[in-house]
Amino acid sequence: MRSLLRRYREPIFVAFLLAVPFAIFAAKARKPMGHNPFDRLVLALTAPVEKAIVIAVSGLQDGWHGYVALRGVREENLRLRRELLAGHNEASALAEMKGENDRLKRLLEYADRNSPTRYLVAEVIAVGASPHSHVLRIARGTADGVNQGAAVVAPEGVVGQIAVATAHYADVQLIMSPISAIPAVSQRTRGRSTVKGVGDVTRCKLEYALRTDDLQDGDVLLTAGGPGFFPKGLPIGRAVNVAKRPTGMFTAADVIPAVNFSRLDEVLVVLGHLPPPSSVLNASTIGAPQ
Amino acid sequence: MTLRNALVLGVCLAASILESTLPFLLHLKAVRADLLLSVVLYLALNDEVVQGAALSLAAGYLADLTSATPPCLYTVLAVLTFVVVRLAGSTIKTGGGLQSAAVAFAASLIHSSLAAVLFYFIAPGSEGLVLQFVPLFWSALGTAIAAPAVFSVLRRLDAALVPAEAATLVR
Repeated sequence: MRSLLRRYREPIFVAFLLAVPFAIFAAKARKPMGHNPFDRLVLALTAPVEKAIVIAVSGLQDGWHGYVALRGVREENLRLRRELLAGHNEASALAEMKGENDRLKRLLEYADRNSPTRYLVAEVIAVGASPHSHVLRIARGTADGVNQGAAVVAPEGVVGQIAVATAHYADVQLIMSPISAIPAVSQRTRGRSTVKGVGDVTRCKLEYALRTDDLQDGDVLLTAGGPGFFPKGLPIGRAVNVAKRPTGMFTAADVIPAVNFSRLDEVLVVLGHLPPPSSVLNASTIGAPQ
Repeated sequence: MTLRNALVLGVCLAASILESTLPFLLHLKAVRADLLLSVVLYLALNDEVVQGAALSLAAGYLADLTSATPPCLYTVLAVLTFVVVRLAGSTIKTGGGLQSAAVAFAASLIHSSLAAVLFYFIAPGSEGLVLQFVPLFWSALGTAIAAPAVFSVLRRLDAALVPAEAATLVR
C-alpha cells in the first residue's frame, strides 16, 4: 500500500490540490462572501502596498500634469468637467424631483422619502487582480462603518455594492458583474425593470421591462430604491438597443452604465439614512438631501 | 520551503499587486494582463509536479483574494490550468518570447472560457456562460504581451538560484 502511495504520489497530491478548492468552491458558491483570518492577513500585507503605489504614482502624475506640463489648462478642464457634471446631475435631479413631486402631491408620502442619506467618501486604490473580475478596492472598511452589501455610488451614478470588507479595506462588486442585479425605474415612463450585469465593462442588460411600457432608446434608468437596495433616484445608465418584440411579456434592451468604471478615483459608500431633522456632518461624511 | 519557492511566491504577490494597480493607474478597460496565469504557465512548463501544483494553488488563491468571487474559483482554475498545460507540456515549446506569448494567448482564452462556465454555475440565470469573444480576446492579448516578461523574470530567478542550490546540495 505504501509503495503504491509512493508510486502515485504526484497524481494523488495534484488530485488533492484540485479536489479541496473545488469542494470549498462548490460548498460556498451560493453563500455570502467573506474573508477568513489568513485572507485578512494577506490583504493586510498587500492592500497598503497597493495604496502606496497608487498614491505615489497618482502624486507623480498630478505633479507632472498640474505643475509642469499643462497647469492652467488642466485645472480649467477639471473645473469645467466638474461644472458640466454638476449641471448634468442637477438637470437629472430636477427632472426626477419634478416627477417625484407630482406623485408625492398625490400620494402624500413626504416624510419618509426626504430623509437624508449618509455617504462616506472612499478612495479607490486598486481593481480586481483577475482581468475577469469586476471589482474595485477602496481604502475604507468595517472600522469606518462599511458593511457587506452597502451600496456604492459616484456623482455620475451607481457603482456597485460592497462584496467583502476587512477592517480598513473593502472590495466593491461593480454593477456590470454577472452576479449583480439592481431594481430600476425609467425616469420618463416610471416603468420598473432590473438592470443585470453581463461581465462587459461597457454595457449591462435590462430585464423584466414590461412590453407595455413605452421604453425607448436613450431613456434614463434610475435606481428604484427599496429596503436593502440603492437609494432611490440615482442614475444607473441609458437604455439602448431597445427591442420591441411582437409577443411575450418583456422588452429586451441593453444599458450603457452612467459611470465610467475605469476612471473612478473616489466613490461614495451609502452608510444609511439619518433621522429626519438631520444636519449631522463630520469630517468624512456627507449628508446629501434626497 | 526552499528559497526558490519563497521567491516564486514573492513574484506571485508582486504580480497580484501589479495586476490590481496598473489597470487602475493606466485606466485600462479591456487589455488587462493576467500575470498570475503567466506564472502558472511557467510553473507548468518548468517545475516539478508537486512543487508547481502547490505554487499554482497559491497563485490562484491570490487571484481569488482580489476578485470578490466565491472562494476558490480561481484557485481551482489555476490548478486545473497547471494540470492541463503540464499534460500538454511535451508538445509546447516556450523558448522564445513569441512562443511564450502564443502559449499565454491560447491559455488565457481557455482559462477565461472556463471561468465563464464556472461563473454560470455559481450565478444561475446570469450571463456568465455567454462567452463574449471581444473582452476575452483583449484580455488574452494583454496576457500574451506580458507573458514573455513574466517568463523572463522567472527564468532569471531560476538561473540565479540553480548554482546556489546545487552548491548547497554539494556541501
